[in-house]
Amino acid sequence: MDAFVSVSHARQTALQTAGQPIPKPQTVRALLDTGASVTCLDSTILTNLNIPPTGTTLMNTPTTGSTPATVNVYDVSILIPGATPPPLFLHTIAVAESQLFQSQGFHALIGRDILGACVFHYNGPLNLLTVSY
Amino acid sequence: MALEKELETYKQKLPELLAEEGKFVLIQDSEVVGIYTSYEDAIKEGYSKFGPNKPFLVKRIQSMDQVHFISRFVEPCHTFQSR
Repeated sequence: MDAFVSVSHARQTALQTAGQPIPKPQTVRALLDTGASVTCLDSTILTNLNIPPTGTTLMNTPTTGSTPATVNVYDVSILIPGATPPPLFLHTIAVAESQLFQSQGFHALIGRDILGACVFHYNGPLNLLTVSY
Repeated sequence: MALEKELETYKQKLPELLAEEGKFVLIQDSEVVGIYTSYEDAIKEGYSKFGPNKPFLVKRIQSMDQVHFISRFVEPCHTFQSR
């Protein structure tokens, strides 16, 4: 699914106050991933938004082995359009930085920190996943 | 490395911060600026006080840092600290 990522609301206000340009929102191909405990964004998206990290977190993936990696965390806003308005809009959410999403066809993993507020209905015979929020 | 000083301050101050475990601390350089009940509030205060260009750290206060799990084959972007 497509989603839109931009700087967080607080950062946008700070940029406006400082008279600095606000980076253009980025359209990302996102994968809903119940196997991800946190939402992740590809580094290229974060570079395009020109945002500095405001935190770090520990992350374990199939590539890290048993020792978690320390990764940067960024505050962003995420808008996920729905079939009917209003869209799901998170004005300030922490996301972890990762790589290699694009080769798999997506730039973002929408993790359980967001999906925890949604209801899923998977209709296998119709190959249809409905997400409500 | 980004936020190196702030992470060091967090480590030093953690024993006293644990009285507020679960909340979010805002740190700039070696100063604990405040403790907030939500991530959004801490981020908002950080940008309000320091603007868009000065680094600050927002971190949930925890005796042991939470480890996030990603089951998909992705590569974490290691910070300098964890390389």
